[in-house]
Amino acid sequence: MKVKGFLQDVTGASRVTKARLEAFASASTAPERIDPIGDVAKAWHPGKIDLVVTEIREASKTAKTIRFERPDGEKLPFFYAGQFISLDFEIGESVISRPYSISSAPFEARGEHPFVEITVRRSKGDGFICDYINDTLKVGDKMRGNMGLGQFYYEPLRDAKHVVALAGGVGITPFASMAKEIAHGTLDFDLTILYGSVSSDDIILKNELEALKSERIHIVHVLSGDEKDWKGERGFITAEIIKKYSAPDTTYFICGPQAMYTFMREELKKLAVPQRRVRFEVFGQAKDITKFAGYPTDVADKTFNMTVVRGISETVIPAKATESIAVALERAGIRIETACRSGECGFCRTKVLSGNFYVCPEGDGRREADKDFNYVHACAAYPTSDIKIKIPIE
Amino acid sequence: MKFYKDHYDVIVIGGALAGLSSALMLADKGKDVLVLERHNLPGGIATSFVRGGIEIEAALHEMMSIGEKNNRLKVGKFLDDMGVDIEWLKVPEAYHASFPGVEVTLHPGFETFAKEVDAVVPGTYDKVLAVLSLCHTVFDSVNELSIHPMSKPMMLLKHEAFVKTAGYSTKEVLDTFHLPKEALDLLAPYWIYVGTGFSELPFTIFAVLMADYIGYGSYIPKKLSHEMSLKMAERAEAMGVQIEYRQHVEKILVKDGKVYGVRTARGDEIHADYVISAAYPNKVYTSMIEPLSEVPEKAIKMVNGRRLSLSAFSVIMILDKPAEELGIKDYSIFRGESADTDKHYRDLKGLGPYRYITCICHNLGNPGVTPEGTCSFSITTLPRVDGWKTVKAEDYDRVKHEVAKDLIDYMSEYYGVNLLDYVLEIVIETPMTIAHYTGMWNGCIYGYAHTMEDHIVARLQTAEEEHFIDGLEFAGAHQISGDGMGPAVTNGRKAAKNVLDAMARKEAAK
Repeated sequence: MKVKGFLQDVTGASRVTKARLEAFASASTAPERIDPIGDVAKAWHPGKIDLVVTEIREASKTAKTIRFERPDGEKLPFFYAGQFISLDFEIGESVISRPYSISSAPFEARGEHPFVEITVRRSKGDGFICDYINDTLKVGDKMRGNMGLGQFYYEPLRDAKHVVALAGGVGITPFASMAKEIAHGTLDFDLTILYGSVSSDDIILKNELEALKSERIHIVHVLSGDEKDWKGERGFITAEIIKKYSAPDTTYFICGPQAMYTFMREELKKLAVPQRRVRFEVFGQAKDITKFAGYPTDVADKTFNMTVVRGISETVIPAKATESIAVALERAGIRIETACRSGECGFCRTKVLSGNFYVCPEGDGRREADKDFNYVHACAAYPTSDIKIKIPIE
Repeated sequence: MKFYKDHYDVIVIGGALAGLSSALMLADKGKDVLVLERHNLPGGIATSFVRGGIEIEAALHEMMSIGEKNNRLKVGKFLDDMGVDIEWLKVPEAYHASFPGVEVTLHPGFETFAKEVDAVVPGTYDKVLAVLSLCHTVFDSVNELSIHPMSKPMMLLKHEAFVKTAGYSTKEVLDTFHLPKEALDLLAPYWIYVGTGFSELPFTIFAVLMADYIGYGSYIPKKLSHEMSLKMAERAEAMGVQIEYRQHVEKILVKDGKVYGVRTARGDEIHADYVISAAYPNKVYTSMIEPLSEVPEKAIKMVNGRRLSLSAFSVIMILDKPAEELGIKDYSIFRGESADTDKHYRDLKGLGPYRYITCICHNLGNPGVTPEGTCSFSITTLPRVDGWKTVKAEDYDRVKHEVAKDLIDYMSEYYGVNLLDYVLEIVIETPMTIAHYTGMWNGCIYGYAHTMEDHIVARLQTAEEEHFIDGLEFAGAHQISGDGMGPAVTNGRKAAKNVLDAMARKEAAK
């Protein structure tokens, strides 16, 4: 065996070792702490940031827009129009996090006077955080949030140049963000918003949307209520209406109440829209889990013992069969990190050590191997017996 | 509320493959181990994610060092021995090589491979087989010497080929075979898995790479790399290891030259005699050791004297047509404007266009991995961190999309279909994505470049003197075996062995 010559060949190891030691000996002694790639990652995703409420204004007779800024007035993280912010609400002993689509535009988070806004409608009795925001939250309140989350945004390498947004009620918010960004010239597609409301009084962000209308941004209101002097589209947003406003190649973005999702799936099926041209926002927390296929209704009225393992400690708390594991934890004042509250994103990935559970089939975002080892997403998993779980220490 | 014990034998920072391998080995020896992982699941980049209801592989192309069930190589054997039972699928081919004028799919097995190369470049069978045999001899020596070190004269006697090629680059050794350029080109594709051009890449590394992949083939876990990461984590927990997710270690506590614990972002101060860090030495020595006055100047010179290797840029798509209908025929495709590894390595310093890429169509190695009528196709290049360091936050999205679009166009032209017309889901992973999820220094996944100044043989020789703080070990791509998911396991085991050896020395001294 010969590469270059016996002596040179057999001294290879010494040669490379010498080269190494020489390289180190001549290296700088100044610690280099810069990680510019990590810094860009942090600019987009800094994690939890401090926020302060700086403005609250009416978005309709039943909804309010809340503006947040950083306490130091600094720029907010980058995000894509359509994404949501997860806000932490400290209520009593509990910290409860909820996702809200951002209704302001990405450029507004990075401007001279940076801010981010959400628009929230008063609930019909089933959303106490929505009511808290509408009734209790005030200018000057401080909270924490994690923003730039979710997959509901325009992806130029996937989506058509013409987008039809199908919005219902407060589901208008991500499209308000997109429309503002298009008007600002920093997002490049034509947007037609088909916006379903009950009555013209219910239309959220009406004036803001009106001001955005342009060659690229069309807003079509569709009223389902019986409003006498209404001249626009009426009824639900049906296949017929959708077709009327579609281009030959259109991507549909859908955001609204859960009932609307079921309806829209059928309407889009009638139009034979390929799956890749349809983007649904996450489903949200199931309103009534007992209505889903396979839910063991015989335990629906039960409250179980849930043993919560954090590190080497264990706590036992009550957990209702009809409330998600995340809700049980929040009620007991145990912190769990959640984001989408729909079972999709996996922020609240939790190990079930023992006991039975039911996972909401809508938007089940678990990995296959996770299913094999009884990992659940706590926001979409329900105890159906006494149960023992392990969650991260927060 | 008390979340941690008062004391652990070992704290492992980072629950990816290296850290979990350390934890498994230490737990196997009865040690009390705590693993702290900043993300909410194990694996680092050996993971998957779900988009639109479809689970998508984040990083793994193919695992080396696994081997057939009854003839395992070192990583496969270690996982078996630890009771980590993974459903391995054998990747059908070595790779499809696509260079101007060459289109060929090559398969593992030395004779098969040499025959297939000979069919493209006639008259090369014997020489190609000779290259592969030399690789295999070196590979056997490296494996044996890593377990049984021996004296230099003895080494020359028993491991002549290893000793005599150790001082040379891949190019220098390959040149002695006088192979036609066309045949050499077909031996080149895997260079991207070790990340330096052939005039800099130690032949030892090339030899191990080729012997392992071509000799024994490669494997993937059926339920994606998350199956592997999760099963390692689950097994470690079953063996008594405490794993805590979402715990970001900010400081490694040192006093009088000796480690005594860590502090997390949450503020927990946790004590242990040993700490194994998957965080890069660059980060540890410049910002994690507390106090920084405990960091010797030599440690700074060491990190400054090394070159960071590659990060990754991947466009991962779920397409709404089966692979066959799009003309995709191979699990693994390497495509380049040439097979000139040195030129490509230089080009990786920039922001594109990248003209040496590796594509994976997961369905062709793992049938049914995506829903019927769809396929998963990824295009990856592994840029050096230099170019990406210059990208500003406000330009990031634009640059990311420009690079992705260029790569998709490059492969669309290859298949004669516009892949963009079939995109059901698309995810673009960049060095920043990696930095975000794993905290890896500058998003670098390959550790330090394999060069003649940072040679694996030299790394082994000087390991002892590069050990600057008592009780502190490192596990990750930045360690002796370098990058890759197989080597990650080996690096993790090495860190655990160092800890066990130190414990034994201390015990003996008592």
